[in-house]
Amino acid sequence: MSQSCKRWAPVGAVLGTLVVAVSAEARPAHKAALVGYLGSFLDKRLNDCRTCHRPDGTREGIPLQERHNPFGARLAALRAEALRAGSTGELTRLLDAVADEDSDGDGVPNLMEMVTGHFPGDADDVPNAAAVAAARKTLAEFAKSRSAYAWRPFEPVQRPVVPAVHRRGWVRNPIDAFIAAEHESRGLQPRPEAPKAVLLRRVYLDLIGLPPTPEELHAFLNDSSADAYEKVVERLLQSPHYGERWGRHWMDVWRYSDWAGFGPEVRDSQPHIWRWRDWIVESLNQDKGYDRMILEMLAGDELAPEDPDTLRATGYLVRNFKRYSREKWLQDTVEHTAQAFVGITLGCARCHDHFYDPITQHEYYQVRAIFEPHHVRIDRLPGQPDVTKDGLVRAFDAQPEVPTYLLIRGDDRTPDKSAPIPPGVPRTLGGKFPTIAPIALPRWAVTPDKRPFVIEETIAAERNGVEQARQAVTVARRRAAAAAAGTVAGTWAAPAVVRRALDAISLAEQDVTIAEGRLETLLKVLRVESLEDQGRKDSDDWKEAAKEARAAQLRQAVAEARRNLWAAERGLLPASGGKAAAKIADLQKALAQAEAEWARPPATNYKPRSLNTYPATSTGRRLAFARWLADRSHPLTARVAMNHIWLRHFGQAIVPTVFDFGRNGRPPSHPALLDWLAAEFMDQGWSMKAMHRLIVTSSTYRQASTPDPANAAIDRDNRYLWRMPPRRLEAEAVRDALLFVGGELDPKLGGPDIDHNLGLTVPRRSLYFRHAQEKQMEFLKIFDCASVTESYQRKESVLPQQALALANSELTVRLSRGLAQRLSARVGTEPVAFVRAAFEQVLSRPPTDAELAECVAFLEAPQRVASTARTPGEAAARARESLVHVLLNHHDFVTIR
Amino acid sequence: MRPSCSPCRGITRRTFLADTGMGFTGLALGAMLFRDGIARGEPASPEPDGQPHFTPKARAVIWLFFCGGVSHVESFDPKPELNKYAGKTIDDTPYKDVLHPDKLKNVIAPNPNHGGRKVLMGLNTPVRRHGQSGLAVGDWWQHVGACADDIAVVRSLWTTDNDHGAQLQWHTGRHVREGPFPTIGAWACYGLGTLNQNLPEYVVLGTPTGDCCGGEWTYGAAYLGPEYAGVRLNIDGKDPLPFVSPAGGKTRDDQEAEFSLLGRLNRLAGIDYPDDPVLRARIKSYELAFRMQTSVPETLQLEKESPATLKLYGIDQPTTRAFGRLCLVARRLVERGVRFVQIFHGGGGGGAWDAHSNIAQNHGNLSAQVDKPVAGLLRDLKQRGMLEDTLVVWGTEFGRSPGAQGTGRDHHPQGFCAWLAGGGIKPGVVHGATDEIGFHAVEHRHYVTDIHATVLHLLGLDPRRLEIPGRKRLEIDYGEPIWDIIA
Repeated sequence: MSQSCKRWAPVGAVLGTLVVAVSAEARPAHKAALVGYLGSFLDKRLNDCRTCHRPDGTREGIPLQERHNPFGARLAALRAEALRAGSTGELTRLLDAVADEDSDGDGVPNLMEMVTGHFPGDADDVPNAAAVAAARKTLAEFAKSRSAYAWRPFEPVQRPVVPAVHRRGWVRNPIDAFIAAEHESRGLQPRPEAPKAVLLRRVYLDLIGLPPTPEELHAFLNDSSADAYEKVVERLLQSPHYGERWGRHWMDVWRYSDWAGFGPEVRDSQPHIWRWRDWIVESLNQDKGYDRMILEMLAGDELAPEDPDTLRATGYLVRNFKRYSREKWLQDTVEHTAQAFVGITLGCARCHDHFYDPITQHEYYQVRAIFEPHHVRIDRLPGQPDVTKDGLVRAFDAQPEVPTYLLIRGDDRTPDKSAPIPPGVPRTLGGKFPTIAPIALPRWAVTPDKRPFVIEETIAAERNGVEQARQAVTVARRRAAAAAAGTVAGTWAAPAVVRRALDAISLAEQDVTIAEGRLETLLKVLRVESLEDQGRKDSDDWKEAAKEARAAQLRQAVAEARRNLWAAERGLLPASGGKAAAKIADLQKALAQAEAEWARPPATNYKPRSLNTYPATSTGRRLAFARWLADRSHPLTARVAMNHIWLRHFGQAIVPTVFDFGRNGRPPSHPALLDWLAAEFMDQGWSMKAMHRLIVTSSTYRQASTPDPANAAIDRDNRYLWRMPPRRLEAEAVRDALLFVGGELDPKLGGPDIDHNLGLTVPRRSLYFRHAQEKQMEFLKIFDCASVTESYQRKESVLPQQALALANSELTVRLSRGLAQRLSARVGTEPVAFVRAAFEQVLSRPPTDAELAECVAFLEAPQRVASTARTPGEAAARARESLVHVLLNHHDFVTIR
Repeated sequence: MRPSCSPCRGITRRTFLADTGMGFTGLALGAMLFRDGIARGEPASPEPDGQPHFTPKARAVIWLFFCGGVSHVESFDPKPELNKYAGKTIDDTPYKDVLHPDKLKNVIAPNPNHGGRKVLMGLNTPVRRHGQSGLAVGDWWQHVGACADDIAVVRSLWTTDNDHGAQLQWHTGRHVREGPFPTIGAWACYGLGTLNQNLPEYVVLGTPTGDCCGGEWTYGAAYLGPEYAGVRLNIDGKDPLPFVSPAGGKTRDDQEAEFSLLGRLNRLAGIDYPDDPVLRARIKSYELAFRMQTSVPETLQLEKESPATLKLYGIDQPTTRAFGRLCLVARRLVERGVRFVQIFHGGGGGGAWDAHSNIAQNHGNLSAQVDKPVAGLLRDLKQRGMLEDTLVVWGTEFGRSPGAQGTGRDHHPQGFCAWLAGGGIKPGVVHGATDEIGFHAVEHRHYVTDIHATVLHLLGLDPRRLEIPGRKRLEIDYGEPIWDIIA
């Protein structure tokens, strides 16, 4: 029994090897499991430790074996058995197994006792016959709820059977079957297919974040072929703008942030992290598998240590950099990785065992140990030696040996140093955690400064130094000539001027020698380095080269010392008052020292270059973790990703708490559909484009978004998707669409982050603008752009501030003016034609008759809107601008219907 | 603005028609409506007509909320017994039965780290009696204490969330795990509509609750629709209302003509989307935005207030300036017809008042920022005769533990306090009580929604008559007015 009690706290026994002190307390997670099992059928009285424990069983001082009541003891025994058999012994299954047993022997089965509010482990606590009779109906309802599709997000994904439905004609693909099954069981009627123009604008905005042009609209309206829509979808999925649109979505989930700080001091995230953003966009456009993307983001440096394109992906980790708190840095890394990829709130287990999910505090620190060694650095890129200006910012394991300690109550001032915590993953999440194998890094990952381009650029820089020194001589000679010409004119100061000019020539000539010496020294040192890198250290060649390098270095030191002393003696150095003499003395000493060194016999102890050198081994922890995540056996990875994708197509997720699939999250609306999508996603090689294609070509997606009272009476919140949910464009899409319909959008892809203060004038897409704490575009903030700290799901507020941004900003005013002029040039100023063209351009649909009438009336009374116009022509032009401006402010413009 | 932009609360299919019911547009619309909608027997709009259900005593509410959990035993429910037993464990006092498990069951997710503070801590601020009622108040709140005869303290509140999700619970009555529900401010505005055309009916000031603990849900409207959500005015920022005036030299008349066309077009778009709460909110947002271009800058002209008034709110002092400005702006908003002003103090993360350590310094500093401004608000409302029909509510998500957590106090949902003033509240009374050490609410226990019920009652609303078909409300959502504190 003592043994089974230990097993009863199974998550305390980590990976079956390390048994930590077993808490004898009833674990809140077990109670939560009981609540999860019975849900609303659980009597409040039973939500109590006493369901499984003796009334005094949780107090200290009671022997372990006596703490359970008969019901608890039975569960513990079954669990021990299950664990021995290799199963996880999930409490739900055990509760099913004991439902009809009578653990306390009072004549009433366990489940019946629980739904009537009596303890199944207490023979004295028993419902009377009337209560038992009354509970039969409840029990039947409970049985019905148990037979519904079992949502088991912590178990590996199994592809569910696609349900057979009556409305077969409506079913275009399995998604529709799952949706129709819910419709039919609830008496919901799907809305008819959306009008073509509505559908086109929807799928454009959804897939590329830009509306269709009038030409594209007409082409689609006129295409009567059966696959007209599918052709559009295919084209959009091939558009590079797809990567921009969905890249921004994933930037939300993966918490993209440019660097923030105080003045030039980087405190949060890192400069040049835009390369990670470009990696996201490019990966999506290439339809790189999501599994591969996970590997590259979490462990790109271990996977492809010398490939700069892959290394960019580790910007995912770099983003969490915090200058002033390694603690917070690691917390964010651990907790957001868990939320973004696994959909669990691991952060709850930082200070104590998780209350809802069976995750121990120890396991939190195991995950932390995965990330403990890593750090960030900036490697040079061709063409830019100064890494503050540009460079490849990336993650790497800087401290492979650093231990991880459990922080008592999550407080970094109280680490439990009794035992370092080994890397691992929460056992309850299952999956296959591979053996962690350290990774030997290739030399350019260890010493990136030895990469050929860096060496070439270093040599080129020295050559350039020589060239500049030579030019300086020419300049000095020209000045001396000019000074000499001045003496001909004759002034008292002349001899001094000439002397200074001649000194300047001499100094410049010495500088040439020095620059040449530097170049020569560099080349000699590189020669030694090269021999060393070939493993020929201590060979004869090496000895020879090392001696030469040392000799060159010493010679150079002497030359520089001589030059400095000479310059000081001639008063050419900026001397400060009476210290000149002292300075000269110092320089004399320096020269003497350099000459003495030079005079010594030749030796090989040359001074190596100071290079950035990093550990030659990476721990392999992150790669193992990433492989665990990106494996099909992981229960949550595909489910969580598909839920995110679904959310962004429909505006509502299947599991509403997108970052929490645990017991504290909210239950899914379509559990079987999500499992099917997850299975399909993995079978399609984790191809996002395949899943987008499937979703947007479904009948579900093609429905009209118009309301319906009969359906609303059944499902007011449209949880079961009897219509397409209309939704507001995200902040970036509002701005991008404005620029696009206004004809200003610059379609250039990628590149460094753009100053966020230029958002109203620089017509690039919004994802390219700086986005960090205190560095965000005001216009985007007003429309609920991503929170920099976390943004798993966007808000959709409707506020007067948004009205003011659209109505009053220079952006919309300028766009309206330009667009009105272009439209007038294209279709003329005749009101009907103009209004039609404006609607198609801005709202991607023709106006209705009523709208046309309103707008024509508006254009025909231009003085109302252009009260200060001086001529009728000016008034008419301004009325057209105003009309365009109104359409940019139209509810339909910011809405995906 | 002209009638074409009349306030658009409760725009339904029928009011779309009424609003645009001039000339051919109206005829065309009428034809479409007849064809498409009403004939099918759409149920009558359940929306309130903006009239109170009975005679109200308050017309506006200023709702003050202090994020993180203010110590009840050191504010408006001081416990001298804590000084007597300071340093002793609860088990060694006559009050050891407070820890009986049955008494601790209401709390959700009983966090062992947040419940086990058993060594009692003495009070960190002196206590004094104030006013004719002799209300005992911790000195951290001495300025409010001096208004004792104007306020009614409720000392017997309890809530269920042992973490800062209780901030959301205070506003909606639901645990954060249940998701968003309409806040008390949204219910008030839904039931009564606006008192003014120029400003939002529900304004939010200060830094709201952090994302962990409800975020924007603490001033949201959930299923009532976004038009009833609170509108934040960031008056602390450089730019309280960005894009406040039109670019390109547009005159107000020109802009009005544009907005008027926009309103008509948006209503036409509503033909296919009758009763779309988002569309309604959008239409309303433009009508408000038009007026806010002038009304917001005017409202924020605090320099128009007398030096005496600024001083009253502590705006002349650096410590009290920021919160004093919020309180003064709240008064000016109410004067201009805003129905519900919600002021947050210390929002973000768990909340500034979350004094797990060094409570003396934490509560000392924070109360110094807010005590005087809150008292100033009460005095100012009173001297202007506004307290008659303006209800002021002071609240926090839970109290702080009688037991010490090092130098701090822990979360404490089992018993805490709030106070109300003005707008039909009985002045100078104390209602309910916690036990001698402030652990459990023991006398006249009130769940947080009893505060909501009290507020709605004083506004003349019966929450049961604000039912929305298809939205299940629980008994506990309605609460019960605290009759003993209603005048």
